[in-house]
Amino acid sequence: MFLTTRIYSSISRLAISLLLLLAFHLDVGAQKFLKLEKDTIPLFRGFAVSFDLAGFAQTQLGTYGQYEGALRLNIHDQYFPIIEVGLGRANHSYDEVTEISYKTTAPYFRIGADVNIMNNKHTGNRVFVGLRYGFTNYSVDIDHPVFADPYWKWPTTFTMTDVKCRQHWGEVVFGLDGKVYGPVHLGWSARYRVRMSSNDGSIGKSWYVPGYGLQDTSVLGYTFYVSVDI
Amino acid sequence: MRYLLFACLFVVLGCSSIECPVQNTVACIYHLKDTLKDTLTIKTVRQNGTDTILLNKAQKPVSFKLPVSYQRAADTLIFQTFRLAVVDTVWLSKTDFPHFESVDCGVSYFHQINDVRCTHNGIDSIKISKSFIDYVPDNPHILIYFKARN
Repeated sequence: MFLTTRIYSSISRLAISLLLLLAFHLDVGAQKFLKLEKDTIPLFRGFAVSFDLAGFAQTQLGTYGQYEGALRLNIHDQYFPIIEVGLGRANHSYDEVTEISYKTTAPYFRIGADVNIMNNKHTGNRVFVGLRYGFTNYSVDIDHPVFADPYWKWPTTFTMTDVKCRQHWGEVVFGLDGKVYGPVHLGWSARYRVRMSSNDGSIGKSWYVPGYGLQDTSVLGYTFYVSVDI
Repeated sequence: MRYLLFACLFVVLGCSSIECPVQNTVACIYHLKDTLKDTLTIKTVRQNGTDTILLNKAQKPVSFKLPVSYQRAADTLIFQTFRLAVVDTVWLSKTDFPHFESVDCGVSYFHQINDVRCTHNGIDSIKISKSFIDYVPDNPHILIYFKARN
C-alpha cells in the first residue's frame, strides 16, 4: 500500500512537472500554439464518431469495463471539442477468496477538447493533448452469503442494495490518431485522472466507478479506438 | 496492426493489483485509567451458549483491544479478576455499519457505541471516550476505572 502510494505520488509529481513544462512552453509559444493556422482549409472540417475497443475488450474479458463512444468536432484539424458517452459495467459475482459480489451498471459522460500539436496539421494523422471533465451517477449492489460472526458465531449478513454514489473527475489526455483507410482512423489515448469529488454513499468505498475504473488503481487510464470521419 | 492489437490486449489483461488497507482490524480499545494490579480474563457467550475467551489472563493490563460483534445490538462481556476473585459484566450497546473497501478485501463492520454500562463489583466506573469504532487505532474507545485495590 505504502509502496503503491509512493509510486502514485512519483507519477503525480512527474505528470505535474510535465504539465508545468508544457504550460511553460505553451506560455512561450502560446500565440503560435493556440492560433489558428492561416491557410485555405475551411474552419469546420466535420465530425468523427469513435468507439473504444479497449473498454469493449475489458468488458468481454474481465468482470468490469465499459462500452464507450465519442463524438468529436474537427475545427481546422487543430481543435477537437469532444463528448464521450459510455456505459460502465461491473459484474463481479462471488469472488473466490472473499465471496463478495459487486454489481453496478451506469452511464457516464466526459466533455473536453483536444489540440493537435503536429506541425503539419492537415495530413490526417494527429498527435493530441487535451483535457476532460467526467461525471457519473451510479448505484451499487454488494452481496455476501450469510456467514458466522467470527467470535460470537451468530449468522451475519452483508448486503447493500441500490446504494447511490456519484463522482466527478478530470483527465489530462495524450493521444495518437492515425488515418488507416478513407475516413477510418485508429488511435489510442493515455489519460491521467484526478478525482475531484466523490460520494460513495454508505458503502465505505466504491470498487469500480463507471468511466473512471477501479478507485485505487485508475489514476492512469487508456483507450484504443476506431473512429470514422463524417 | 496485428501487433498493435496484441499490445492493447496485453495492456488490458496485464494490470491488476490488490488495494486493501494495511491496518484493517476493527476492534474496540479499552484503557484502564488506573493500572489493575491483578490478572484479567474477559469472556463472552457465543450463540450456542458456550463461553469464549477474548482476553486470556492478562497481567496488570493497561490497554487492550477486543473484537466487536458484527450485528448484535449489544455485546455482553464478562470481566474476571483472579487475585480478588470478582466478576463484572459490561454491556456495550452499538449500531453497526457494514463497510466495504474492495472485492479483494473481505467484509468488515464499523460501529457507533451508543451506551456502555457495567456491574460494580470490581469496576468503579466506565465511560465512552471515542464512540466510533473503525480501522483507526489511535485513541481508546472505552475508559475503565477499577476500584482501588491494596
